[in-house]
Amino acid sequence: MTSATAAPAAVATAPRPASTPFAVTPLAVTAVGAVSAAGIGLDALGRAVAEGTAGHTDPSGLGEESLPPRPVRVVPDLPVAELIGRKGTRHLDRTTKLALVACRLTLDAHPGQTGERSGVVLGTSTGSIRSSSEFSLETLRQERPYLVNPSLFPNTVMNCAAGQIAIRHKLHGVNATIAGGHLSGVQALRYARNALRQGHADRILVGGVEEFCAQSAWGWHLSGSLAADAPVGEGAAMLMVEQEAEASAAGRPVLARVLACETGYSAPGRLADGLASVVTTALERCDRWPEQVGAVSYGATGLTGLQRIEERGVRTALGGRSPARRLAVKESVGECFSAAGILQIAALIGTWQHTTAPAGELALVTAVARDGNVGCAVVEAGHLG
Amino acid sequence: MSERGTRRVVVTGLGAVSSAGMGADEFTASIRAGRRTTSAVRSFDTTGFPHVHAGEVHDFEPRRWLRGIDPGQWGRSSQFAASAARLAVEDAGLAADDLARGRAGSVMGTTSGESAVIEELVGAWAADGLKSLPPDLVGSAPAGRIAAAVNSELGLSGEALTLATACSASNYALGYAFDMVAGGDADYMLAGGADSLNRWAHAGFYRLGALAEEICRPFDADRSGILTAEGGVALLLEPYERAVARGARIYAEVLGYSVNCDAEHMVHPDPTSIAACIRAAHRSAGVEPEQIDYICAHGTGTRTNDATEVAAARAVFGDRIPPISSIKSMIGHTMGAASGFGALICCRALYDGFLPPTAGVERTDPDLGPGVDPVPGRARPAQPRIVENHGFAFGGNNAITILGRVA
Repeated sequence: MTSATAAPAAVATAPRPASTPFAVTPLAVTAVGAVSAAGIGLDALGRAVAEGTAGHTDPSGLGEESLPPRPVRVVPDLPVAELIGRKGTRHLDRTTKLALVACRLTLDAHPGQTGERSGVVLGTSTGSIRSSSEFSLETLRQERPYLVNPSLFPNTVMNCAAGQIAIRHKLHGVNATIAGGHLSGVQALRYARNALRQGHADRILVGGVEEFCAQSAWGWHLSGSLAADAPVGEGAAMLMVEQEAEASAAGRPVLARVLACETGYSAPGRLADGLASVVTTALERCDRWPEQVGAVSYGATGLTGLQRIEERGVRTALGGRSPARRLAVKESVGECFSAAGILQIAALIGTWQHTTAPAGELALVTAVARDGNVGCAVVEAGHLG
Repeated sequence: MSERGTRRVVVTGLGAVSSAGMGADEFTASIRAGRRTTSAVRSFDTTGFPHVHAGEVHDFEPRRWLRGIDPGQWGRSSQFAASAARLAVEDAGLAADDLARGRAGSVMGTTSGESAVIEELVGAWAADGLKSLPPDLVGSAPAGRIAAAVNSELGLSGEALTLATACSASNYALGYAFDMVAGGDADYMLAGGADSLNRWAHAGFYRLGALAEEICRPFDADRSGILTAEGGVALLLEPYERAVARGARIYAEVLGYSVNCDAEHMVHPDPTSIAACIRAAHRSAGVEPEQIDYICAHGTGTRTNDATEVAAARAVFGDRIPPISSIKSMIGHTMGAASGFGALICCRALYDGFLPPTAGVERTDPDLGPGVDPVPGRARPAQPRIVENHGFAFGGNNAITILGRVA
């Protein structure tokens, strides 16, 4: 693809090498839904993050297994009956319920029609690890290994939540599940951006979900990958995204613009440089400059080793400067793994609605994982009413 | 509005880790011969299961294939994916350094991710409680490790994306990789999928009444269900111009693809939605139904799948349904890797000139209606020019890719 066919004189204001393959079309965010330890809804999240308050800390009612001795953040009183209805929810697991609640909140906030040309791109890591591991355990504990409950089998498949969202809201467009863990948010946005560009849907619910359960709490605790005082959390968040031209033509206010979402992969020991590189690329692809960045919504808060790597990578990309505003959503809602990326964006939008952040503020949303994955989305504040 | 990238995208490397052998050549020879490579399961204790057959990769030795990563740090599905990717790059005749220096990434599909790792963790839980979970295994459990393993093995610095759209995931991956190369986001993409055998899926499919006892016979009147299976598959995609410039062997061109969602039921497929997906794939590829020479079916071996898939094809192709066969009759259902293996055999069918068979068909089910040609027995010599590769999944996630011979 040739990208710079104009005469050099005509691009004098853009001295960057023309290495980027094509102009990136911004994605318009027209609705947000979030459910977290801060409570149900975007307002609760925005307030908690803006004020630095901790979310709900009592995990009682979430299973009978003993929990590791460490702080937790869980969603209080998930309003399943009110927001999903009572029909057909008996066999749904918590992952799917969290996703369906976040979806309902997002659709309620969306000023337009949804329609069958809508899609879903949902981030996870293993699906519901409680569902799959309990189903597997049954094969060991039952008198015969096959005496499992077949109604629970779909819960063990990672695309269960995305499929349920499509069924309940009749969404026939692209339906993708991204197993990205810490990278789920930026990967889901990249996937959705391409799907919109290719016409696989007219608008897409882009989300992430993670449930709190004893299995993953022990996993975090024993692996040492989370600092001892960092809480294990849960939540789900969703953005309705569409091409900005579509939103504008329909008169839908644009809450935020996703200007770029870039990912890369680094060799061991090169994570900070790798992150700095994708941040730089992301800013180049939307023609913004490091000094324009007003806020950073961090993803690696509380992760052993990674938090400092993330901060160093961002600082490098911003030329040694620290951004004016620093958001650490996990300080309020805990380690939400696959839900974190979209919660980082929801937190930005929530704080934009609650504080006096500069109009049109430019923010980075970053993610880094120990395996080598790094990612960055560039998000700009829109019309926040 | 569709906005297609301008670069033509071709497949120049194929890699397989399967019950039918290691590497695309062994795999293709086995499939062409119509050899059934499913067998009694060894990787988990089958005591108490009435049906114990599956498409298992026996005696897999990851250290024989992997050079960049230490297999001890990665789960079985990641080992499959990374080995298949390594084999694909070697098959493409591409120097590893050239690949790593290029703008290269991977996108891999899966159904159950690192399910074998999760079942080891469940074993520890059952024996000594959750506080006894081995930390190394916890770190290997995320499904996203599958694409990460490919990038780590090959030293790739581009995207490492794992798509968990269940049993159509490899076709999702192939479609996304196609867009990334066509649009100029990447110069090389490894696309495919991986899954491991596990007790829970074996039990689940048995309880759904969908598990065959010993033989998977799609399209046969006496079919009795699926056989679960495992493996890893990878296709190397690059721009046509680049492949020609470096004198690469070009197996096939990726012409287009489509994805959609039934939005009806978690486990029962919907023919109307699948037909819409086929039509959209044809539009994407710029082809008409009469140009399709062969369909590599989803073909799981259940009555429901056969009836739905043939009805969808009939809705699009009318009375002239192209030959439609299922390689699951030989290797079983490799889940997230299944449509990747389908794509691989489509590439070889286009390049070598044959139609892949359906093994074990003795009497094509008359209930499927007239004109269903499942290519029974062994591969049929033919010169297909454009072929269609189906992938359907739990959750109603349909994905169809169209591949063509490069003249």
